[in-house]
Amino acid sequence: MAGALSSLKVVEIGELASAPYASKLMADMGAEVIKIERPGVGDRARTRGPFPGGTPHPEKSGLFLYLNANKLGITLDIARPEGMELLERLVAETDVLIHNVWPPEMDRVGLSFDRLGKINPRLVMTSITPYGLTGPKRNLRAEELTIWSAGGVCVLNGAGPEHPELPPLKTFGNQAGYQGGVHGAVATMGAVLAAMRDGEGQHIDVSCQEAIASQLEMTFEYWPYMKMIATRLGKKPLQPVESMQCKDGGWIYLCCIEEHQWKAFVDLMGNPEWAGEEIFADRLKRGENWEALKIFLEEYVSQQTVLDLYKKAQARRIPFAPVSTMGDLLNSEHLKARGFFVEIAHPVAGAFKYPGAPLKYSATPWELRMPAPTLGQHNQEILGGRLGLSAARLGELKRTGVI
Amino acid sequence: MARPPLDGVRIADFTWVWAGPYCTLQLAHLGADVIRIETKTRPCVTRLLPPWPGGQPGGLNRSGYFNQYNQGKRSLTLNFKDPEAHEIARRLIAKSDVVVNNFAHGVMDRMGFGYEAVRKIRPDIIMASLTGYGDTGPYRDYIAYGPAQVPLSGLSALTGYRGWPPMHAGFSYADPNAGVHGAFAILAALFHRAKTGQGQYIDMSQWECAMDLLAEGLLEYTMNGREPERAGNEDPWMAPHGIYRCLDRPEPVMGVTVDQWVAIAIADDAEFARFAAAIGQPGLASDARFAAFAARKAHEEELNRLISAWTAPRHADDAARTLQQAGLAAAVVADSRYLAEEDEHINGRDYFVRLEHPEVGTQQHCGMPWKYSWTTTSVRTAAPCIGQHTDEILSGLLGYSVDDVSRLRSQGALE
Repeated sequence: MAGALSSLKVVEIGELASAPYASKLMADMGAEVIKIERPGVGDRARTRGPFPGGTPHPEKSGLFLYLNANKLGITLDIARPEGMELLERLVAETDVLIHNVWPPEMDRVGLSFDRLGKINPRLVMTSITPYGLTGPKRNLRAEELTIWSAGGVCVLNGAGPEHPELPPLKTFGNQAGYQGGVHGAVATMGAVLAAMRDGEGQHIDVSCQEAIASQLEMTFEYWPYMKMIATRLGKKPLQPVESMQCKDGGWIYLCCIEEHQWKAFVDLMGNPEWAGEEIFADRLKRGENWEALKIFLEEYVSQQTVLDLYKKAQARRIPFAPVSTMGDLLNSEHLKARGFFVEIAHPVAGAFKYPGAPLKYSATPWELRMPAPTLGQHNQEILGGRLGLSAARLGELKRTGVI
Repeated sequence: MARPPLDGVRIADFTWVWAGPYCTLQLAHLGADVIRIETKTRPCVTRLLPPWPGGQPGGLNRSGYFNQYNQGKRSLTLNFKDPEAHEIARRLIAKSDVVVNNFAHGVMDRMGFGYEAVRKIRPDIIMASLTGYGDTGPYRDYIAYGPAQVPLSGLSALTGYRGWPPMHAGFSYADPNAGVHGAFAILAALFHRAKTGQGQYIDMSQWECAMDLLAEGLLEYTMNGREPERAGNEDPWMAPHGIYRCLDRPEPVMGVTVDQWVAIAIADDAEFARFAAAIGQPGLASDARFAAFAARKAHEEELNRLISAWTAPRHADDAARTLQQAGLAAAVVADSRYLAEEDEHINGRDYFVRLEHPEVGTQQHCGMPWKYSWTTTSVRTAAPCIGQHTDEILSGLLGYSVDDVSRLRSQGALE
């Protein structure tokens, strides 16, 4: 059985995480994705690692290899007229074009739906950009840190009220990029379904800032509804919802949101006398008196091991979780049983384990078909084989730096 | 403008709290008829949570949390203690394309709406379960609460100030992340069904969806056998790269002073030269400590002190604008008020939605993070009051007579 999207054709012009993650989601479900990189340098993710042995190498970046498995890779300078002409020929035969070319760069090279939609009226073109394609911040330079901050989540994270001097804290990795990517994939699939029905494609403008702001839980609404601002410095209203260190050096996240969970935890601790104190009588009081409660809980938790406390708590329906290290995840018996991690062997980088399917379909597989392309690996196959360029023409394009 | 992409697609929405409702919110944005199956006997917890208008709780329809993530949906109340409620749900499933839930593993089976039961009602149904741990594996019956899924995923171990314990993301990030991945999975399954006529079951683990976002950390471990160090707001390939204190907000909010910060990321040496000029210290660009990336990285603390001295007497908006005008990546660390009122960009893009709601009036809510050029996608209605659409769904869609409805109501099946 082929993947759910095995009849879908996608062209990606992507750097770092956002557009590459959107097309990765599709490639892993069987879509054919042709990734276009800049000749010579390639996707910036190639420079960011992690690298085996810590030594940078454009074919060995973990981030690049993860995001671009299952894709065909070609090089093309779309700023050159010959490059744009080849892009137009690829677009004529695709269902979807996903890119995260920076808006001023789109203007400079003439990458627009006005142009490409004329070539292929069924084309769905998705532009995933930091701030979207309209508005006064359209052309601003942006990086992961500034987009995550502009989206309104960064302000929520960091040390609590005891350390107001410490800054709001970025969440690890490329989260703004991933969220722009997955929201962009949703919007793209909606338009693909509409194009199947209507025979007409369209242009989608996805803002990473807005993708993040869409996930502010209740904190955004605190302003319009109550004129309150949530930040990292607010005291948590109910407790315990905190990490604590165990005797094996690992950390566990204590989480008693419902009253019955707290009662079950008290029982698990052997019903110590302090737990009967009036100052711990309900979750709000436990929040108010957290400094006192913390001392008692730390004493108990510091005598436990992470895995044992986790399993004992879960057996009583208390939703504790370990603060997983990377080693914990790779060695998790649960994730092994589900086959989450997959090994990808790459001709230059070697074979490593990577995160696998975020979901399992009953009828159509999530599938690993090939490792990420080396820079320009499929130039011959796509530009020569599919578009019919002669060897002489390919040589000329290479000499002039178009591919 | 043309019909919305999912016009005519119906979602039987058994979700609650955040992950599931965030999933079906995406489908509602795209035009699906999303019918939330709720009960007054055990309402969605978000209906009971703040914020409430003016800080006043009361009833089940005033929560800004619920009203954010259920825009554009309809609400049907059913009390499954009554056997006839099951029949109503079966009739609804027969008229639906997709069934979604985010209960713990096994709950839908026990309710009589597991995949095998549901596909007997409608063979080409698509069913998605967004559980905490997935439907297989030794921990499949473990329970998952939003805040605990962030540390479970590995993100906490990777996030934190240098030398500090693991931190959090500051919100239950794994929930909306699973929701939006679920929406993508359902759309891909709809595509497959449109091509082949075949429905299917989708087993999603919130935990696994979150681990797809930390490949850099996992690969440091699988490639080099070591746990990555937590490094605050630093970046291995950029310096300066941090969040710097600015002047506090001019007025306190609810009697509390609110601090403000600016995020700055300088990608290379050429940008650093522009940065040095923009902060009025062009000499830094030729200073041996800072001119080249490796030197800046080695002197990052010193550099951060210099930058903080520049940002401290400035408003965050002014500091960000000065750097933005020099073509550099800088942004105010936005809080809710900044987004709601002060960020002229996001307010100028019609991102926010203000629709009339019978109990909370017209409130400002977050809308869709995308714009289509041609097809209509929009937030069509404010979130439903509990059971608001029960009668119209029963009589309009499922063929119950007015008498049936009043009988069902009086026997408590519609609680």
